[in-house]
Amino acid sequence: MELKLYVDRMSQPSRAILIFCKANGIEFEEVKILLAKRQHHSPEFAEVNPMKQVPAIVHGDFKLFESHAILIYLASAFPGVADHWYPADVRKRAKIHSVLDWHHSNLRRGAVGYIFNDSIAIALGLPLNPKAAAEGEKLLSASLAMIESYWLEGHGPFLLGNSEPSIADLSLVCEIMQLEVADENDRDRILGPHKRILKWIEDTKNATSPYFEEIHSIMSPVKEKLKELKVQASQQSA
Amino acid sequence: MELKLYVDRLSQPSRAILIFCKANGIEFEEVKILIGKMQHRSPEFAEINPMKQLPAIVHGDFKLFESHAILIYLASAFSGVADHWYPTDIYKRAKVHSVLDWHHSNLRRGSVGYLFNTRIALAFGLPLDPKASAEGEKLLSASLAMIESYWLEKDEPFLLGNSQPSIADLALVCEIMQLEVADEEDRDRILGPHKRIMKWIDDTKNATAPYFDEIHSMLPLAKEKLKELKVQASKQ
Repeated sequence: MELKLYVDRMSQPSRAILIFCKANGIEFEEVKILLAKRQHHSPEFAEVNPMKQVPAIVHGDFKLFESHAILIYLASAFPGVADHWYPADVRKRAKIHSVLDWHHSNLRRGAVGYIFNDSIAIALGLPLNPKAAAEGEKLLSASLAMIESYWLEGHGPFLLGNSEPSIADLSLVCEIMQLEVADENDRDRILGPHKRILKWIEDTKNATSPYFEEIHSIMSPVKEKLKELKVQASQQSA
Repeated sequence: MELKLYVDRLSQPSRAILIFCKANGIEFEEVKILIGKMQHRSPEFAEINPMKQLPAIVHGDFKLFESHAILIYLASAFSGVADHWYPTDIYKRAKVHSVLDWHHSNLRRGSVGYLFNTRIALAFGLPLDPKASAEGEKLLSASLAMIESYWLEKDEPFLLGNSQPSIADLALVCEIMQLEVADEEDRDRILGPHKRIMKWIDDTKNATAPYFDEIHSMLPLAKEKLKELKVQASKQ
Protein backbone atom coordinates (compact mmCIF):
# COMPACT_ATOMS: atom_id res chain seq x y z
CA MET A 1 0.00 0.00 0.00
CA GLU A 2 1.43 3.29 -1.13
CA LEU A 3 2.21 5.99 1.46
CA LYS A 4 2.35 9.63 0.40
CA LEU A 5 3.51 12.39 2.76
CA TYR A 6 2.28 15.86 1.85
CA VAL A 7 4.90 18.04 3.50
CA ASP A 8 6.95 21.20 3.47
CA ARG A 9 10.33 20.89 5.18
CA MET A 10 9.77 24.42 6.47
CA SER A 11 6.92 23.01 8.58
CA GLN A 12 8.04 21.68 11.95
CA PRO A 13 5.47 18.85 12.15
CA SER A 14 6.25 17.90 8.51
CA ARG A 15 9.88 17.37 9.50
CA ALA A 16 8.88 15.21 12.47
CA ILE A 17 7.00 12.75 10.27
CA LEU A 18 9.69 12.70 7.56
CA ILE A 19 12.40 11.88 10.12
CA PHE A 20 10.16 9.29 11.78
CA CYS A 21 9.56 7.43 8.52
CA LYS A 22 13.21 7.52 7.44
CA ALA A 23 14.49 6.44 10.86
CA ASN A 24 12.06 3.50 10.82
CA GLY A 25 12.68 2.42 7.23
CA ILE A 26 9.10 3.24 6.20
CA GLU A 27 8.91 3.78 2.44
CA PHE A 28 7.01 6.79 1.20
CA GLU A 29 6.68 9.33 -1.56
CA GLU A 30 7.39 12.90 -0.43
CA VAL A 31 4.90 15.26 -2.10
CA LYS A 32 6.16 18.79 -1.57
CA ILE A 33 3.45 21.35 -0.78
CA LEU A 34 5.36 24.64 -0.63
CA LEU A 35 3.74 27.08 1.79
CA ALA A 36 5.73 30.06 0.49
CA LYS A 37 4.24 29.41 -2.95
CA ARG A 38 0.74 29.07 -1.41
CA GLN A 39 0.45 25.51 -2.72
CA HIS A 40 -1.49 24.57 0.42
CA HIS A 41 -4.33 26.70 -0.91
CA SER A 42 -4.70 24.76 -4.17
CA PRO A 43 -8.01 22.96 -4.84
CA GLU A 44 -6.04 19.73 -5.39
CA PHE A 45 -4.52 19.87 -1.93
CA ALA A 46 -7.90 20.72 -0.38
CA GLU A 47 -8.98 17.26 -1.60
CA VAL A 48 -6.22 15.77 0.53
CA ASN A 49 -6.73 18.07 3.54
CA PRO A 50 -9.71 20.45 3.68
CA MET A 51 -7.95 22.29 6.55
CA LYS A 52 -5.31 23.32 3.95
CA GLN A 53 -2.46 22.53 6.31
CA VAL A 54 0.66 20.39 6.22
CA PRO A 55 1.49 17.69 7.02
CA ALA A 56 -1.14 15.33 5.66
CA ILE A 57 -0.80 11.72 4.52
CA VAL A 58 -2.55 9.36 2.15
CA HIS A 59 -1.98 5.65 2.82
CA GLY A 60 -3.72 3.58 0.15
CA ASP A 61 -7.12 5.28 0.24
CA PHE A 62 -6.84 6.46 3.86
CA LYS A 63 -6.35 10.19 4.37
CA LEU A 64 -5.15 11.71 7.64
CA PHE A 65 -4.00 15.09 8.95
CA GLU A 66 -2.72 16.48 12.30
CA SER A 67 0.88 15.42 12.89
CA HIS A 68 0.36 13.74 16.28
CA ALA A 69 -2.44 11.60 14.84
CA ILE A 70 -0.16 10.81 11.86
CA LEU A 71 2.82 9.83 14.04
CA ILE A 72 0.62 7.56 16.17
CA TYR A 73 -0.96 6.00 13.07
CA LEU A 74 2.41 5.31 11.41
CA ALA A 75 3.83 3.84 14.62
CA SER A 76 0.80 1.54 14.85
CA ALA A 77 0.34 0.61 11.19
CA PHE A 78 3.93 -0.42 10.38
CA PRO A 79 5.08 -3.54 12.26
CA GLY A 80 8.81 -2.76 12.10
CA VAL A 81 8.54 0.28 14.38
CA ALA A 82 10.29 -0.28 17.73
CA ASP A 83 8.09 -0.02 20.85
CA HIS A 84 9.90 3.01 22.33
CA TRP A 85 8.47 5.30 19.65
CA TYR A 86 4.89 4.71 20.88
CA PRO A 87 4.84 2.15 23.71
CA ALA A 88 2.12 -0.45 23.91
CA ASP A 89 2.04 -0.04 27.71
CA VAL A 90 -1.12 1.96 28.50
CA ARG A 91 0.53 4.13 31.15
CA LYS A 92 3.68 4.96 29.17
CA ARG A 93 1.47 5.72 26.19
CA ALA A 94 -0.75 8.00 28.31
CA LYS A 95 2.27 10.11 29.28
CA ILE A 96 3.18 10.54 25.62
CA HIS A 97 -0.37 11.70 24.87
CA SER A 98 -0.09 14.08 27.81
CA VAL A 99 3.07 15.83 26.56
CA LEU A 100 1.82 15.89 22.95
CA ASP A 101 -1.41 17.55 24.15
CA TRP A 102 0.51 20.03 26.34
CA HIS A 103 2.64 20.89 23.31
CA HIS A 104 -0.27 22.39 21.28
CA SER A 105 -1.03 25.26 23.66
CA ASN A 106 2.44 25.76 25.06
CA LEU A 107 5.63 25.10 23.13
CA ARG A 108 3.96 25.16 19.70
CA ARG A 109 1.79 28.16 20.37
CA GLY A 110 4.72 30.11 21.85
CA ALA A 111 7.26 29.10 19.20
CA VAL A 112 4.93 29.80 16.28
CA GLY A 113 3.77 33.07 17.86
CA TYR A 114 7.36 34.23 18.21
CA ILE A 115 8.95 33.01 14.97
CA PHE A 116 6.01 33.79 12.69
CA ASN A 117 5.63 37.35 13.92
CA ASP A 118 9.36 37.96 14.14
CA SER A 119 10.48 36.44 10.82
CA ILE A 120 8.37 34.04 8.80
CA ALA A 121 5.38 36.29 8.11
CA ILE A 122 7.55 38.17 5.61
CA ALA A 123 7.97 35.07 3.44
CA LEU A 124 4.20 34.90 3.13
CA GLY A 125 3.93 38.60 2.24
CA LEU A 126 2.54 39.54 5.67
CA PRO A 127 3.79 42.27 8.04
CA LEU A 128 5.86 41.44 11.11
CA ASN A 129 4.19 42.04 14.48
CA PRO A 130 6.62 42.82 17.32
CA LYS A 131 3.91 42.81 20.01
CA ALA A 132 2.66 39.35 19.05
CA ALA A 133 6.29 38.19 18.75
CA ALA A 134 6.98 39.35 22.31
CA GLU A 135 3.92 37.49 23.63
CA GLY A 136 5.00 34.41 21.73
CA GLU A 137 8.51 34.63 23.14
CA LYS A 138 7.16 34.82 26.68
CA LEU A 139 5.14 31.61 26.24
CA LEU A 140 8.02 29.96 24.38
CA SER A 141 10.46 30.68 27.20
CA ALA A 142 8.01 29.49 29.85
CA SER A 143 7.51 26.28 27.83
CA LEU A 144 11.24 25.65 27.49
CA ALA A 145 11.59 26.11 31.26
CA MET A 146 8.74 23.65 31.86
CA ILE A 147 10.33 21.06 29.56
CA GLU A 148 13.59 21.33 31.51
CA SER A 149 12.05 21.27 34.96
CA TYR A 150 9.31 18.70 34.37
CA TRP A 151 9.13 16.84 31.07
CA LEU A 152 12.86 16.01 30.92
CA GLU A 153 12.96 14.86 34.54
CA GLY A 154 14.08 11.30 35.08
CA HIS A 155 16.90 8.90 34.41
CA GLY A 156 16.98 8.87 30.63
CA PRO A 157 18.02 11.48 28.08
CA PHE A 158 14.56 11.80 26.51
CA LEU A 159 11.16 13.18 27.51
CA LEU A 160 9.36 11.47 30.39
CA GLY A 161 12.64 9.98 31.66
CA ASN A 162 12.81 7.61 28.71
CA SER A 163 16.11 6.04 27.65
CA GLU A 164 15.04 6.01 24.00
CA PRO A 165 13.13 8.59 21.96
CA SER A 166 9.38 8.57 21.41
CA ILE A 167 7.26 10.39 18.83
CA ALA A 168 6.95 13.17 21.42
CA ASP A 169 10.71 13.87 21.34
CA LEU A 170 10.62 14.19 17.54
CA SER A 171 7.58 16.43 17.58
CA LEU A 172 8.85 18.86 20.24
CA VAL A 173 12.48 18.96 19.08
CA CYS A 174 11.46 19.73 15.48
CA GLU A 175 9.42 22.61 16.86
CA ILE A 176 12.43 24.06 18.69
CA MET A 177 14.62 23.60 15.61
CA GLN A 178 12.48 26.25 13.90
CA LEU A 179 14.50 28.80 15.89
CA GLU A 180 17.32 28.10 13.42
CA VAL A 181 15.64 30.54 11.02
CA ALA A 182 15.75 33.38 13.54
CA ASP A 183 18.67 35.75 14.08
CA GLU A 184 21.58 34.07 15.96
CA ASN A 185 21.36 36.69 18.72
CA ASP A 186 17.67 35.99 19.26
CA ARG A 187 18.17 32.24 19.14
CA ASP A 188 20.99 32.47 21.69
CA ARG A 189 18.95 34.73 23.95
CA ILE A 190 16.03 32.31 23.96
CA LEU A 191 17.80 28.94 23.88
CA GLY A 192 21.16 29.76 25.43
CA PRO A 193 20.01 29.52 29.08
CA HIS A 194 18.64 26.03 28.48
CA LYS A 195 21.63 23.67 28.45
CA ARG A 196 19.47 20.64 29.22
CA ILE A 197 17.32 21.40 26.17
CA LEU A 198 20.41 21.74 23.98
CA LYS A 199 21.63 18.33 25.15
CA TRP A 200 18.22 16.79 24.46
CA ILE A 201 18.16 18.19 20.92
CA GLU A 202 21.64 16.69 20.38
CA ASP A 203 20.53 13.28 21.75
CA THR A 204 17.45 13.27 19.52
CA LYS A 205 19.57 14.18 16.50
CA ASN A 206 22.04 11.37 17.25
CA ALA A 207 19.23 8.85 17.74
CA THR A 208 17.86 9.63 14.26
CA SER A 209 21.09 10.30 12.45
CA PRO A 210 21.69 10.98 9.56
CA TYR A 211 18.05 11.78 8.76
CA PHE A 212 17.62 14.54 11.35
CA GLU A 213 20.43 16.62 9.84
CA GLU A 214 19.33 15.82 6.28
CA ILE A 215 15.75 16.94 6.86
CA HIS A 216 16.91 20.07 8.72
CA SER A 217 19.47 21.09 6.08
CA ILE A 218 16.85 23.47 4.65
CA MET A 219 17.01 25.76 7.70
CA SER A 220 20.22 27.68 6.86
CA PRO A 221 19.23 28.76 3.32
CA VAL A 222 15.79 29.77 4.63
CA LYS A 223 17.36 31.84 7.38
CA GLU A 224 19.50 33.71 4.84
CA LYS A 225 16.46 34.31 2.63
CA LEU A 226 14.41 35.69 5.55
CA LYS A 227 17.32 37.96 6.52
CA GLU A 228 17.34 39.39 2.97
CA LEU A 229 13.55 39.87 2.98
CA LYS A 230 13.78 41.66 6.32
CA VAL A 231 16.47 44.01 4.99
CA GLN A 232 14.40 44.72 1.85
CA ALA A 233 11.29 45.36 3.94
CA SER A 234 13.09 47.89 6.17
CA GLN A 235 14.57 49.61 3.10
CA GLN A 236 11.07 50.02 1.67
CA SER A 237 9.66 51.54 4.82
CA ALA A 238 12.68 53.89 5.22
CA MET B 1 -7.22 0.47 42.48
CA GLU B 2 -8.68 3.81 43.51
CA LEU B 3 -9.46 6.45 40.89
CA LYS B 4 -9.59 10.12 41.87
CA LEU B 5 -10.74 12.83 39.47
CA TYR B 6 -9.52 16.33 40.28
CA VAL B 7 -12.14 18.48 38.59
CA ASP B 8 -14.20 21.65 38.55
CA ARG B 9 -17.57 21.28 36.83
CA LEU B 10 -17.06 24.80 35.46
CA SER B 11 -14.17 23.37 33.40
CA GLN B 12 -15.24 21.93 30.05
CA PRO B 13 -12.70 19.11 29.92
CA SER B 14 -13.49 18.25 33.58
CA ARG B 15 -17.11 17.70 32.58
CA ALA B 16 -16.11 15.47 29.68
CA ILE B 17 -14.24 13.05 31.93
CA LEU B 18 -16.93 13.07 34.63
CA ILE B 19 -19.63 12.20 32.09
CA PHE B 20 -17.39 9.56 30.49
CA CYS B 21 -16.80 7.78 33.80
CA LYS B 22 -20.46 7.88 34.87
CA ALA B 23 -21.72 6.74 31.47
CA ASN B 24 -19.30 3.79 31.59
CA GLY B 25 -19.92 2.80 35.19
CA ILE B 26 -16.35 3.62 36.21
CA GLU B 27 -16.16 4.24 39.97
CA PHE B 28 -14.26 7.27 41.12
CA GLU B 29 -13.93 9.87 43.83
CA GLU B 30 -14.64 13.41 42.64
CA VAL B 31 -12.16 15.80 44.26
CA LYS B 32 -13.42 19.33 43.67
CA ILE B 33 -10.73 21.87 42.88
CA LEU B 34 -12.59 25.17 42.59
CA ILE B 35 -10.95 27.50 40.10
CA GLY B 36 -13.07 30.44 41.30
CA LYS B 37 -11.48 30.02 44.74
CA MET B 38 -7.98 29.65 43.22
CA GLN B 39 -7.68 26.13 44.62
CA HIS B 40 -5.81 25.05 41.49
CA ARG B 41 -2.93 27.20 42.71
CA SER B 42 -2.49 25.40 46.03
CA PRO B 43 0.82 23.64 46.75
CA GLU B 44 -1.14 20.43 47.41
CA PHE B 45 -2.68 20.44 43.96
CA ALA B 46 0.70 21.26 42.38
CA GLU B 47 1.79 17.84 43.67
CA ILE B 48 -0.98 16.30 41.57
CA ASN B 49 -0.46 18.51 38.51
CA PRO B 50 2.52 20.88 38.29
CA MET B 51 0.74 22.65 35.40
CA LYS B 52 -1.91 23.73 37.97
CA GLN B 53 -4.74 22.90 35.57
CA LEU B 54 -7.85 20.79 35.53
CA PRO B 55 -8.68 18.05 35.02
CA ALA B 56 -6.09 15.69 36.47
CA ILE B 57 -6.44 12.14 37.72
CA VAL B 58 -4.69 9.78 40.12
CA HIS B 59 -5.27 6.07 39.51
CA GLY B 60 -3.52 4.05 42.21
CA ASP B 61 -0.10 5.69 42.08
CA PHE B 62 -0.43 6.87 38.46
CA LYS B 63 -0.89 10.60 37.88
CA LEU B 64 -2.08 12.04 34.58
CA PHE B 65 -3.22 15.39 33.18
CA GLU B 66 -4.50 16.72 29.80
CA SER B 67 -8.11 15.65 29.25
CA HIS B 68 -7.61 13.88 25.90
CA ALA B 69 -4.81 11.76 27.39
CA ILE B 70 -7.07 11.05 30.39
CA LEU B 71 -10.06 10.03 28.23
CA ILE B 72 -7.86 7.70 26.16
CA TYR B 73 -6.29 6.21 29.30
CA LEU B 74 -9.66 5.58 30.97
CA ALA B 75 -11.09 4.03 27.78
CA SER B 76 -8.05 1.72 27.60
CA ALA B 77 -7.54 0.88 31.28
CA PHE B 78 -11.14 -0.10 32.14
CA SER B 79 -12.32 -3.26 30.44
CA GLY B 80 -16.05 -2.46 30.50
CA VAL B 81 -15.78 0.49 28.11
CA ALA B 82 -17.54 -0.13 24.76
CA ASP B 83 -15.35 0.05 21.64
CA HIS B 84 -17.13 3.05 20.08
CA TRP B 85 -15.70 5.39 22.71
CA TYR B 86 -12.11 4.78 21.53
CA PRO B 87 -12.06 2.19 18.71
CA THR B 88 -9.29 -0.39 18.53
CA ASP B 89 -9.35 -0.17 14.72
CA ILE B 90 -6.28 1.97 13.92
CA TYR B 91 -8.00 3.89 11.11
CA LYS B 92 -11.03 4.85 13.19
CA ARG B 93 -8.76 5.60 16.13
CA ALA B 94 -6.53 7.84 13.98
CA LYS B 95 -9.57 9.92 13.02
CA VAL B 96 -10.49 10.35 16.68
CA HIS B 97 -6.93 11.57 17.37
CA SER B 98 -7.17 13.90 14.37
CA VAL B 99 -10.31 15.72 15.56
CA LEU B 100 -9.05 15.85 19.18
CA ASP B 101 -5.82 17.47 17.93
CA TRP B 102 -7.73 19.91 15.69
CA HIS B 103 -9.86 20.86 18.70
CA HIS B 104 -6.94 22.40 20.70
CA SER B 105 -6.17 25.21 18.23
CA ASN B 106 -9.64 25.67 16.83
CA LEU B 107 -12.83 25.09 18.79
CA ARG B 108 -11.15 25.23 22.20
CA ARG B 109 -8.95 28.20 21.42
CA GLY B 110 -11.86 30.15 19.90
CA SER B 111 -14.36 29.28 22.59
CA VAL B 112 -12.02 30.03 25.49
CA GLY B 113 -10.83 33.24 23.79
CA TYR B 114 -14.41 34.43 23.38
CA LEU B 115 -15.86 33.42 26.76
CA PHE B 116 -12.88 34.39 28.90
CA ASN B 117 -12.67 37.87 27.45
CA THR B 118 -16.44 38.41 27.36
CA ARG B 119 -17.36 37.10 30.76
CA ILE B 120 -15.17 34.70 32.70
CA ALA B 121 -12.21 37.06 33.30
CA LEU B 122 -14.43 38.92 35.80
CA ALA B 123 -14.55 35.89 38.07
CA PHE B 124 -10.78 36.29 38.46
CA GLY B 125 -10.90 40.03 39.01
CA LEU B 126 -9.46 40.62 35.54
CA PRO B 127 -10.76 43.14 32.98
CA LEU B 128 -12.74 42.09 29.91
CA ASP B 129 -11.02 42.49 26.54
CA PRO B 130 -13.42 43.22 23.67
CA LYS B 131 -10.71 42.89 21.00
CA ALA B 132 -9.60 39.46 22.19
CA SER B 133 -13.26 38.51 22.57
CA ALA B 134 -13.97 39.41 18.94
CA GLU B 135 -10.95 37.41 17.74
CA GLY B 136 -12.11 34.46 19.83
CA GLU B 137 -15.62 34.66 18.41
CA LYS B 138 -14.27 34.69 14.86
CA LEU B 139 -12.28 31.49 15.44
CA LEU B 140 -15.16 29.92 17.36
CA SER B 141 -17.62 30.57 14.54
CA ALA B 142 -15.18 29.28 11.93
CA SER B 143 -14.69 26.15 14.03
CA LEU B 144 -18.43 25.53 14.40
CA ALA B 145 -18.79 25.90 10.62
CA MET B 146 -15.94 23.40 10.09
CA ILE B 147 -17.55 20.90 12.43
CA GLU B 148 -20.79 21.15 10.49
CA SER B 149 -19.24 20.97 7.06
CA TYR B 150 -16.50 18.41 7.69
CA TRP B 151 -16.38 16.66 11.03
CA LEU B 152 -20.12 15.85 11.19
CA GLU B 153 -21.52 13.86 8.31
CA LYS B 154 -25.08 14.19 7.08
CA ASP B 155 -26.49 10.75 7.78
CA GLU B 156 -24.85 9.79 11.06
CA PRO B 157 -25.35 11.53 14.41
CA PHE B 158 -21.79 11.74 15.73
CA LEU B 159 -18.39 13.09 14.66
CA LEU B 160 -16.54 11.29 11.88
CA GLY B 161 -19.75 9.72 10.57
CA ASN B 162 -20.04 7.48 13.61
CA SER B 163 -23.36 6.01 14.70
CA GLN B 164 -22.29 6.03 18.36
CA PRO B 165 -20.35 8.64 20.34
CA SER B 166 -16.60 8.62 20.87
CA ILE B 167 -14.49 10.51 23.43
CA ALA B 168 -14.18 13.22 20.76
CA ASP B 169 -17.93 13.93 20.85
CA LEU B 170 -17.79 14.36 24.63
CA ALA B 171 -14.72 16.62 24.52
CA LEU B 172 -16.07 18.94 21.81
CA VAL B 173 -19.71 19.07 22.98
CA CYS B 174 -18.67 19.92 26.55
CA GLU B 175 -16.62 22.77 25.11
CA ILE B 176 -19.62 24.17 23.24
CA MET B 177 -21.85 23.80 26.33
CA GLN B 178 -19.67 26.47 27.98
CA LEU B 179 -21.62 29.01 25.90
CA GLU B 180 -24.42 28.45 28.43
CA VAL B 181 -22.64 30.97 30.69
CA ALA B 182 -22.88 33.73 28.09
CA ASP B 183 -25.84 36.07 27.52
CA GLU B 184 -28.70 34.33 25.67
CA GLU B 185 -28.43 36.83 22.81
CA ASP B 186 -24.74 36.14 22.34
CA ARG B 187 -25.26 32.40 22.58
CA ASP B 188 -28.09 32.56 20.03
CA ARG B 189 -26.06 34.72 17.68
CA ILE B 190 -23.14 32.31 17.74
CA LEU B 191 -24.93 28.94 17.92
CA GLY B 192 -28.30 29.77 16.35
CA PRO B 193 -27.19 29.39 12.71
CA HIS B 194 -25.84 25.92 13.43
CA LYS B 195 -28.83 23.58 13.55
CA ARG B 196 -26.69 20.53 12.81
CA ILE B 197 -24.50 21.33 15.83
CA MET B 198 -27.54 21.67 18.07
CA LYS B 199 -28.83 18.28 16.96
CA TRP B 200 -25.42 16.75 17.66
CA ILE B 201 -25.37 18.24 21.17
CA ASP B 202 -28.79 16.74 21.76
CA ASP B 203 -27.74 13.33 20.45
CA THR B 204 -24.66 13.36 22.69
CA LYS B 205 -26.78 14.35 25.66
CA ASN B 206 -29.25 11.52 25.00
CA ALA B 207 -26.44 8.98 24.54
CA THR B 208 -25.09 9.85 28.00
CA ALA B 209 -28.37 10.58 29.81
CA PRO B 210 -28.93 11.31 32.65
CA TYR B 211 -25.29 12.14 33.42
CA PHE B 212 -24.85 14.85 30.79
CA ASP B 213 -27.60 17.02 32.25
CA GLU B 214 -26.55 16.27 35.80
CA ILE B 215 -22.94 17.33 35.22
CA HIS B 216 -24.06 20.48 33.35
CA SER B 217 -26.67 21.48 35.94
CA MET B 218 -24.43 24.10 37.56
CA LEU B 219 -24.04 26.22 34.42
CA PRO B 220 -27.20 28.39 34.82
CA LEU B 221 -26.05 29.33 38.32
CA ALA B 222 -22.56 30.20 37.04
CA LYS B 223 -24.20 32.33 34.33
CA GLU B 224 -26.24 34.33 36.87
CA LYS B 225 -23.17 34.84 39.02
CA LEU B 226 -21.12 36.11 36.07
CA LYS B 227 -24.00 38.42 35.01
CA GLU B 228 -23.94 39.96 38.50
CA LEU B 229 -20.20 40.49 38.33
CA LYS B 230 -20.60 42.22 34.96
CA VAL B 231 -23.25 44.58 36.34
CA GLN B 232 -21.02 45.40 39.31
CA ALA B 233 -18.03 45.97 37.07
CA SER B 234 -19.91 48.38 34.79
CA LYS B 235 -21.15 50.34 37.79
CA GLN B 236 -17.53 50.85 38.83
